[in-house]
Amino acid sequence: MMIPCPHCGDRDVSEFRYGGDASKQRPAHGTGDLKAWHDYVFLFENPKGPHTEYWQHVLGCRRWFKLARNTATNEIGGVVS
Amino acid sequence: MLERRSALASAKPYVGSTLKIAERPGFTLTQVAGLSPDFETKLSTVVGPLPETVARAQVNDARTLFRLGPGQFWIVGPETDDAAAKLQGQCAVTPLNSSRVRVSLEGAPAREALSRLMPVDLHPSVFTPGGVALTGIHHTPVTVHCAAENAFDIYVMRTFAVTVWEAITDAARLFADRS
Amino acid sequence: MTRFRRLPQGGRIDRAKPVSARFDGKALGGFAGDTLASALLANDQVLIGRSFKYHRPRGLVAAGIEEPNGLFTLGEGATTEPNVAATMVDLVDGLVARTQNAWPSAGFDLMAVNSILSPLFQSGFYYKTFMGPTKGSWMFYEPFIREAAGLGKATGLPDPDRYDMRYAFCDVLVVGSGPAGLAAALTAGRSGARVVLADQDSDFGGSLLSGNDAGHEAWRIACIGELKSLPNAETCARTTVQGLYDGNLAVLVENRSHLRPDARKGEARMLLTQLRAKTIVMATGAIERPLVFSNNDRPGVMLASALRSYTNRFAVAPDKRAVIVTNNDTAYQAALDLATAGVAVTVADHRASVSADILSRAGAKGIAIFPGSGIFDVEGAKGVTRVKLGGAHAVTIECDAVGMAGGWSPVVHLSSHGGIKPKFDEAAAGFVPGGFPASHYGAGAMMGTYGLSAAIAEGSNAGASAASYAGFGKTRPVYAPEHVTDRSYAILPTWAPAYSAKGKAFVDFQSDVTIKDVKIAHQEGYRSVEHLKRYTTLGMGTDQGKTSNINALALMAEYRGITIPEAGTTTFRPPYAPLTMGAIAGRTVGAHFRPVRLSPLHDWHVKNGATFIDAGLWKRAWFYSWAGATPETAYVKEMELVRRGVGLADVSTLGKIDIQGPDAAEFLNRVYVNGFAKLPVGKVRYGVMLNDDGIVLDDGTTARISDNQFYMTTTTAQAGEVMSWLEYLLQCHWTDLNVQVASLTDEWAGMAVSGPKAREALQLAFPAEDLSNDALPYMGCKDFPFEGVTVRLLRMSFSGELAYEVHVAADYAISLWAHILKAAAPTGIKPYGLEALASLRIEKGHVAGLELDHRNTLDDLGLGKMAGKEKDYVGRALRFREDCQSPERWSLVGLELMEPDKKLRGGSILFAATDEIKGHGRGYITSVTWSTELNTFIALGLYKGGLGHEGEEIIAAFPLKNEQARLKIVSPHFIDKEGARLHA
Ligand SMILES: [Zn+2]
Repeated sequence: MMIPCPHCGDRDVSEFRYGGDASKQRPAHGTGDLKAWHDYVFLFENPKGPHTEYWQHVLGCRRWFKLARNTATNEIGGVVS
Repeated sequence: MLERRSALASAKPYVGSTLKIAERPGFTLTQVAGLSPDFETKLSTVVGPLPETVARAQVNDARTLFRLGPGQFWIVGPETDDAAAKLQGQCAVTPLNSSRVRVSLEGAPAREALSRLMPVDLHPSVFTPGGVALTGIHHTPVTVHCAAENAFDIYVMRTFAVTVWEAITDAARLFADRS
Repeated sequence: MTRFRRLPQGGRIDRAKPVSARFDGKALGGFAGDTLASALLANDQVLIGRSFKYHRPRGLVAAGIEEPNGLFTLGEGATTEPNVAATMVDLVDGLVARTQNAWPSAGFDLMAVNSILSPLFQSGFYYKTFMGPTKGSWMFYEPFIREAAGLGKATGLPDPDRYDMRYAFCDVLVVGSGPAGLAAALTAGRSGARVVLADQDSDFGGSLLSGNDAGHEAWRIACIGELKSLPNAETCARTTVQGLYDGNLAVLVENRSHLRPDARKGEARMLLTQLRAKTIVMATGAIERPLVFSNNDRPGVMLASALRSYTNRFAVAPDKRAVIVTNNDTAYQAALDLATAGVAVTVADHRASVSADILSRAGAKGIAIFPGSGIFDVEGAKGVTRVKLGGAHAVTIECDAVGMAGGWSPVVHLSSHGGIKPKFDEAAAGFVPGGFPASHYGAGAMMGTYGLSAAIAEGSNAGASAASYAGFGKTRPVYAPEHVTDRSYAILPTWAPAYSAKGKAFVDFQSDVTIKDVKIAHQEGYRSVEHLKRYTTLGMGTDQGKTSNINALALMAEYRGITIPEAGTTTFRPPYAPLTMGAIAGRTVGAHFRPVRLSPLHDWHVKNGATFIDAGLWKRAWFYSWAGATPETAYVKEMELVRRGVGLADVSTLGKIDIQGPDAAEFLNRVYVNGFAKLPVGKVRYGVMLNDDGIVLDDGTTARISDNQFYMTTTTAQAGEVMSWLEYLLQCHWTDLNVQVASLTDEWAGMAVSGPKAREALQLAFPAEDLSNDALPYMGCKDFPFEGVTVRLLRMSFSGELAYEVHVAADYAISLWAHILKAAAPTGIKPYGLEALASLRIEKGHVAGLELDHRNTLDDLGLGKMAGKEKDYVGRALRFREDCQSPERWSLVGLELMEPDKKLRGGSILFAATDEIKGHGRGYITSVTWSTELNTFIALGLYKGGLGHEGEEIIAAFPLKNEQARLKIVSPHFIDKEGARLHA
């Protein structure tokens, strides 16, 4: 699988680290609400199909970015801003 | 003065007639990163024009500049380089002189040897002189700089220097004059 | 009698270059251009082995990669390679091959007794025998089965050959160099696109290599010539495309065995290429199908296309007469070519009538045709002697060989590696690709396009489309040679034998599956394709059913009364062909198996008697020879050194991170549970980080270098994890914070100077610095210049003694280390290793990686009081969730051994004194050491309810060694609870 790093271009997946679901909004720092944190940390859609997720180009520029990938086909939709 | 010692001081040398693999020590490596919006302007006043993209290095006299990503650069200069001192206080300055070793591959088979090590297109029409790839060799991060048509500088993490040196010289064994 | 002979002329062999190989200990002669298979046939070695289950005599069936029977063991000693198809082996001087699965020889096989025991081996034998009520029977049968039914054997010796790998990139990958592939590659190449043409064969041309038409040959030569002249084209022979993966990654494996590569010179026997192609054209051709009839496995019965290949390409033909049995027109190409070579040919054609054109052309060559006929039986114990026809013409024919022409199966494997199932095409009477993603194309026989001119046209189109997709516009098409008329490829489907005697009729030669086995599978309800395969082992051999799958599928469909597409097809997975494990491992063997990480002080340790231990990728100094020859004795001496004098330890493996920016303090205040906002410049603080879920991530220390700059250390194990985590928070979430982080792990070396004489030692090393308790108190830090470099001195302790860490740029680590040892020699300073380092911290009750098991909370580790009450920090909210607050959680305890004659082991399971010693217990020992202070074994552990049970006697069980010992739960701080030594 090739991952399009927004800074380095298409690179082999072995250069990247997977960072999980990127579709959710992290509760703001200072938010003590247990429910908000619980939902953010533990509840995932885990879809078969289109997915937005974090990747880090860990053997490259070390930048994190959001990527659209189809979990069923591994089709890459591109970097999401 | 304390004696300076390279991480490759005890590595087995590589001897080849068509391909030369050697450590190229004696450089200063300074990582700089922006802490203000005018960072790149301030930086270029000190070190000259900056590379436009991660994929291209910028050579300004004795210094070679690499862009690592948004607002982050490497300045590779001679051992006496004063860039770090000049930039102190203007941005985040992190001296990394000991953190990398520089391995150079030079000779006609250099691209063929490198193709055994890194998943990056090395075709001469694609990876041209001045080209840079931040990639992995032997599972470790490296910065590969195409210095000339068939000459490459590879910046390797110091603690992995020996293992990567061995991986490179093993991959290039076809071109070494050994029995 | 002779069955096969070398023709006096013709073929693609070079008669000027004789080759001498060895086969079963005897010389085997041939010519350059021969394969091992063609050389065997040329030497009339028709019987070449015994079948898998029944040990029936077998001969070659094919001339290509689909060969099911002709598997041999190549090489000798450590280079032995079993199960290699003779059809894919170039005959070269020095080649050594042996028959396998026959003992003592293929001609006289004692195991043929299996043939008599054959009911044992019917379908479902494995299922019924080993999964049924007779539990344990596998133990009884296994040695027998392994001996009798095994294919070749691996040596068990390390492989001395070298295997190489490389990465490559191209615009258009063309798989297969038959007419369609050549046309595709050349058309794409003419556009300027970077083209790679790969073929498993030793030469390019595919089916053209087996032809004898001068016009076709001229076309082939011209195409290859032009392609090789293009600087943007790469042609790879003997290169099998083994699999296609996501992102158009193709894995190519080139076999270079024929070059007899010398591993010592770096020459590889195989080269694996990870090729990223913008587009892929599959022109993988088709494989001829056998027909199913009684005794269709007699040596000399082969595919009609194989007879044609051997005759035209290798100049090896049946001695006098061949019988060809067919259900389609393509067999006549073989018949005509054999007749041209001087072989008398009889054709039995299942179809009631044959076209006038064929009748006249065959008649001109003296070929006898029996329409409406097929094979009733084949005779000849160790090779064909006679064929009995059935149907319209029940005649008996003496012959040397039989050619089977059952139609063609497109090679669709690669097209389905990405998950697209093949679909059945009635016109082609076979499975064709079920579709392609946008960047993939198919051409020629693999698409069911069998005619030469049609295949070339399709190939040329595919090449042009692929080049255009890759961004290359203009090209010129490749045209078929003139005067080509494509013949019909329609078959009369006759899956079950039309006329058959009672002999075994094989569907799968390699797995020894007969038509009766398929029937039994049907009767017993194993009717889906996947069940059929597993129940009968059909298609499970090294050939993966390349010749057998369609026949089996069609038979099952017939029994079930459904159509072939309704019966479905099996899933094709990589690799396409059998692959040597070495090719997958490549160069990453031995010392190159994984990267090794070395401390900047490594070379000093090597020269000064250190023994090393692996810690993740690191090689760490475990103990030093001055203290003893074994770790058990040495670490105790090294501990005593630190407790009573002063020791020097390498802590360069710690993760180190530079944190800079106006918001650096705020950033640290957020990621650590304890406060960092007000840490004064020149001070160090111990800190703990949590994950978002409230579980401990890591601990370490951070020093404030200036208002806007901090120097963080992490544990060795979590260094990479913490760095990524900080980058994640800054880049993805806290983009409002103006902070930059950089890894310093490789830049700085660290050495711990520990023990009551630590200050004295450092004062000797750095006489210009004021290191008094007032100038540098506990948890103070300072940078100072020394001999031209900056030294960073941090006063902190992992051992519980008065201690410092000296950090310096890694290039100067060895000289500074040596300087400290030399200058401080009057204090008796010596190095100590990881074992002592770890033991000292256990005595002090410091948690480390073994305790931080990614399941514990701050409270579990007794660190709850550290957390800031007035500020937010990562993990705070979820730290207080119900589960994390339970008093019954496994939490940190100290443990003291109560039985002096016993010893403690890490990983022991902890039980309450009254518990039955069974199951997972109430916790476990994380770290254990001999305590030089307490003169007993002590340990840290996690125990249900933790220090709520302080003072209780419990049991540590180590079931693997059947050991148990009584322990007492105590405070984890075994020494200096008040910290007087730290502040000294
Ligand atoms: Zn990148």
